[in-house]
Amino acid sequence: MAILEVRNLTHTYSGNSPFMNDAVKDVSFTVEKGEIIGIIGHTGSGKSTLVQHLNGLLKPTEGNVLFENEDIWENPKEIRKIRSKVGLVFQYPEYQLFEETVFKDISFGPRNMGLESEALENTVKEICGIVGVKPEFFEKSPFDLSGGEKRRVAIAGVMAMKPQVIVFDEPTAGLDPKGREDVMEIIRSYRKATNATVIIISHSMEDMAALADKVIVMNKGSLYMFGTAREVFSHSDELRKIGLNVPIVSQVFEALGLNNIPLTVDEAVEILKKRVGDNA
Amino acid sequence: MLKDITFGQYYDATSVVHKCDPRVKILLMIAFIVLIFVSQNMFSLAFACVSVIFVLLISRVPIKLFLKNLKAIWVVLAFTAVINLFYSNTGKVLVSFWIVEITTGGVYRAVFMALRIILLIFISSVLTYTTTPNSLTDGIESLLSPLKYIGLKNAVHIFAMMMTIALRFIPTLIEEAEKIMNAQKARGADLENGSLVERVKALIPILIPLLISSVRRAYELAEAMECRCYNGGVGKTRMKQLTLSVSDLYAIIFIAVFTCGIIGLNIIF
Ligand SMILES: Nc1ncnc2c1ncn2[C@@H]1O[C@H](COP(=O)(O)OP(=O)(O)OP(=O)(O)O)[C@@H](O)[C@H]1O
Ligand SMILES: [Mg+2]
Repeated sequence: MAILEVRNLTHTYSGNSPFMNDAVKDVSFTVEKGEIIGIIGHTGSGKSTLVQHLNGLLKPTEGNVLFENEDIWENPKEIRKIRSKVGLVFQYPEYQLFEETVFKDISFGPRNMGLESEALENTVKEICGIVGVKPEFFEKSPFDLSGGEKRRVAIAGVMAMKPQVIVFDEPTAGLDPKGREDVMEIIRSYRKATNATVIIISHSMEDMAALADKVIVMNKGSLYMFGTAREVFSHSDELRKIGLNVPIVSQVFEALGLNNIPLTVDEAVEILKKRVGDNA
Repeated sequence: MLKDITFGQYYDATSVVHKCDPRVKILLMIAFIVLIFVSQNMFSLAFACVSVIFVLLISRVPIKLFLKNLKAIWVVLAFTAVINLFYSNTGKVLVSFWIVEITTGGVYRAVFMALRIILLIFISSVLTYTTTPNSLTDGIESLLSPLKYIGLKNAVHIFAMMMTIALRFIPTLIEEAEKIMNAQKARGADLENGSLVERVKALIPILIPLLISSVRRAYELAEAMECRCYNGGVGKTRMKQLTLSVSDLYAIIFIAVFTCGIIGLNIIF
């Protein structure tokens, strides 16, 4: 079942010069329940603008966004309700931390949804379990944590609303390899625990290949490609033309002139093992 | 929403006023303000009106923009007018109820005061519309430079630097505030509804991150400045020297005529 549907979405930022192009132009796609969707695109291609429509932070200049077949702008007064159904984790979410303690900060979202006392506490604890925020952190100030830990707490702050769809805008930006792997792991465990639909904007083709069921390619505000990761990454020349690329392993296999091109290291290992096995 | 806040509202155009030296413009604006207050009768104020309108026109800034500035202070304007309406009891009585009387003198006074304020707003807007924030601070620094000789050696430079940095970071802070607002809205924060107390409370999740990031930015900026050997104003030279030009001469002649006009009309009538 389609959980999210974007129909002919166009967004023009107001206030800028009249010659400015639309940040998002006539984009349509459908997201099925439980899918992991990756969004890639050159910087300025409108990815962040696009995802801010999914939870009603931006209103389409033209077109519609449908959540479970209902236009989210049907009743503009109720737009705040969609925010707990479609969670959005911004780039560098740690800059949104503000409470005295980690626990209070993670409670902010669910409290805004009207959760109180025990229900609130249980929800926060459950999420902390899923994302790996240890109880000894609960009473610490979020500002005393390391960069990676802050990111973890900030992501937990959005997950604590238990959204059915969760959108991440470059969740691994500015982290070291271990930090990146941790964030990916958080996303995987949230999904396992809640069966949520996940949408990720990323500049890492490797992450996309490893994680995404389907990939949306944005170029200059328009939807350039939309398909399974394998389909999208089979168009390596087109991707390179718009400033993107395929995962490094795929590039290696391509450069070697092989025709069975893997997307991830694991796949590559499988293929190579088989070849070595054949030759031996 | 936040984007509507304009500051250092420079309007790019080519005009005599734009070309004037910021120092001259600042001094002339001060002269204008003093003279608008000095004008005591209808005739001198009418002359001031004509002169201000002349300046607005040659600045080539759309009149719409000046009117926009008035909108921001109409409450002050209305308040002043109403207070003055009751203040005077000279002239013919127009309306009278209970112990209050509105006289022709009162009406005259109300219009007079309101007009003065409008002229003040217009003339100071000319300065901000035709001068970039940077050249404004340069001008202020240059004008305050005599203070160096009374022991405030570095203070003038530091003051000007502080102003420049503040102006430079206003757009950055607005952008940042908008990002944080969006992030908190995504967590269900309600910024639009609720009582006054609730709305003030709703600002906390925005102000705290904003404050923290400003402090962080300040440290980063200070470090970057030190890396580039910034040590205050000592021995610093300017890339763009302020120099006087023909436009400035015109401006000075204009203000001289204006001064004579106002004072003359004040004396004659
Ligand atoms: N608040 C805004 N006001 C005006 N224009 C904006 C605003 N935000 C983004 N834009 C413009 O819209 C276009 C798309 O920006 P957007 O942030 O969606 O791109 P992006 O794909 O997320 O880029 P990046 O990979 O750098 O994050 C850009 O040209 C940008 O300048
Ligand atoms: Mg972006």
